[in-house]
Amino acid sequence: MSTAIDLTGVRLAYRIDKQRVGTFKEFAIHLFKGQVDHELLWAVDGIDLSLDRGEVLGVIGPNGAGKTTLVKLIARILPPTEGRVVVRGNLAAMIALGAGFHPESSARENVMLYGALLGRSRTTMLERLPEIIAWAGLDDFIDVPLRAFSSGMVARLGFAVATDADADILLVDEVLAVGDREFLTKSERRIDRMIRSGSSVVVVSHSLPTIRQMCDRVLWMDHGRARMIGPTEDVVAAYEDSVDSAG
Amino acid sequence: MAVSTYDSSQRRLPLAELRHLWEYRSLLRLLVARELTLRYKRSVLGVWWTLLNPLFTIGVFWLVFSQIFSRDGGGAPFIVYLTAGVLHAGFFSQGVTAAGEGIVAGRGILAKVHVPPDVFSFAAAIAAAVNFGISLIPLILILLIQGVGVPWTFLLVPISIVAMLMFVAGLGLLVASVAVRFYDVLDLVRVLTMLVMYLSATFYPISIIPERWQWVIEINPVYHHLVIFRAFSYGGPFSWVSLGVTLGSGVVALAVGVWVFSRNWRDVVVRL
Repeated sequence: MSTAIDLTGVRLAYRIDKQRVGTFKEFAIHLFKGQVDHELLWAVDGIDLSLDRGEVLGVIGPNGAGKTTLVKLIARILPPTEGRVVVRGNLAAMIALGAGFHPESSARENVMLYGALLGRSRTTMLERLPEIIAWAGLDDFIDVPLRAFSSGMVARLGFAVATDADADILLVDEVLAVGDREFLTKSERRIDRMIRSGSSVVVVSHSLPTIRQMCDRVLWMDHGRARMIGPTEDVVAAYEDSVDSAG
Repeated sequence: MAVSTYDSSQRRLPLAELRHLWEYRSLLRLLVARELTLRYKRSVLGVWWTLLNPLFTIGVFWLVFSQIFSRDGGGAPFIVYLTAGVLHAGFFSQGVTAAGEGIVAGRGILAKVHVPPDVFSFAAAIAAAVNFGISLIPLILILLIQGVGVPWTFLLVPISIVAMLMFVAGLGLLVASVAVRFYDVLDLVRVLTMLVMYLSATFYPISIIPERWQWVIEINPVYHHLVIFRAFSYGGPFSWVSLGVTLGSGVVALAVGVWVFSRNWRDVVVRL
């Protein structure tokens, strides 16, 4: 059986211009002065990883360790600067839920737009709309503009759309942190069901209890590299030790 | 269900890029609708603005050129010749600039969701084509009022629109490839599209250009697109060369645009 995700020597550099050269005019001026200069920030710096079908991988590490960038590489939002990313299967990415949501549009319109952004057809979305709204518990708000929603409600809506289709691979980046307890239980149940049906999951979280409860294996990232990767308990314990000794 | 595989090391061919776009057609459709409505939402005249804007332009050109320069429309009434030219020029300039801006407008979404990055440019180009389609209504009215009538070849106008759409989308993607890095290139493009309009016999007959300078007009593909549009829409002079250039330039521009863009859009997500 083939793996769900394979990363080989994956690196990603963000470009940071030393001078903010946003226009061609400025570029010409800087070029003339010989000052066109930029710095590369290696957010992910050589990660090798492969994930089996049905496996749940946790990603932990301090802020700025490259966790979100790693997830974005798998979600094919960012193309790797070096190395290779292979993903086999349909992917549901829960990163920045509700990206592309428009505050002036209603919940209904936003669900349609978000579905379209995820590449789903109009007919599918029209069909699934009632169920999505019902799962999010937002029946009374279907025609209300999104600006009237709380951030928790927006997250519910985004989660409901993102997890509506069957996915072979699920990426979860800190999205469970915003909702209330009911939403948390409900969404964890949904993720559990997807895991049981054989989906692979990559979950990024700062909540070590969540990681302990969900994951088979954990990747601890630091400065874009894999500080440690292995069975959940070993890695989480080592991470806790390191955080405690630093504190 | 077929298992879709993503391999970052595989470079996709332009054709595969376009198929990817087809998978996202519901997004394309929503973006086109948004482009069309947002533009006019805040104006009192609403969608009618689509029509009024070029009509005013035509009025101005008509006053200036029919009164001061030549009234020659190459066989057709000058107003017909002029209207076709101005509407067509609007399609070109609106399409290229809006498609060029597309990637910048889609930046926020591209950083968070995986979508084909060229979808934003295509949506803008298609919106320009739809606008052009709507603006054929006043052209038809003018044809009827002037007693020219609407020839059967009008049914071929969609060919002209599709060829122009491909051309505009291709150029727009080239502009977008640069706009990813330098936003102000769009100002330059606005000036350049105006230059192209002046060089494509929009509001003057090509015969007023001295013969030894006519090549300047003839190397401009937009001129040939316009010749074909005029031929189809009211029976202006037809030329096989122009038809060949029209279709050829559409295909070439699109292929080159998609290819160049696929190598450059990455900048938009990795530049901070």
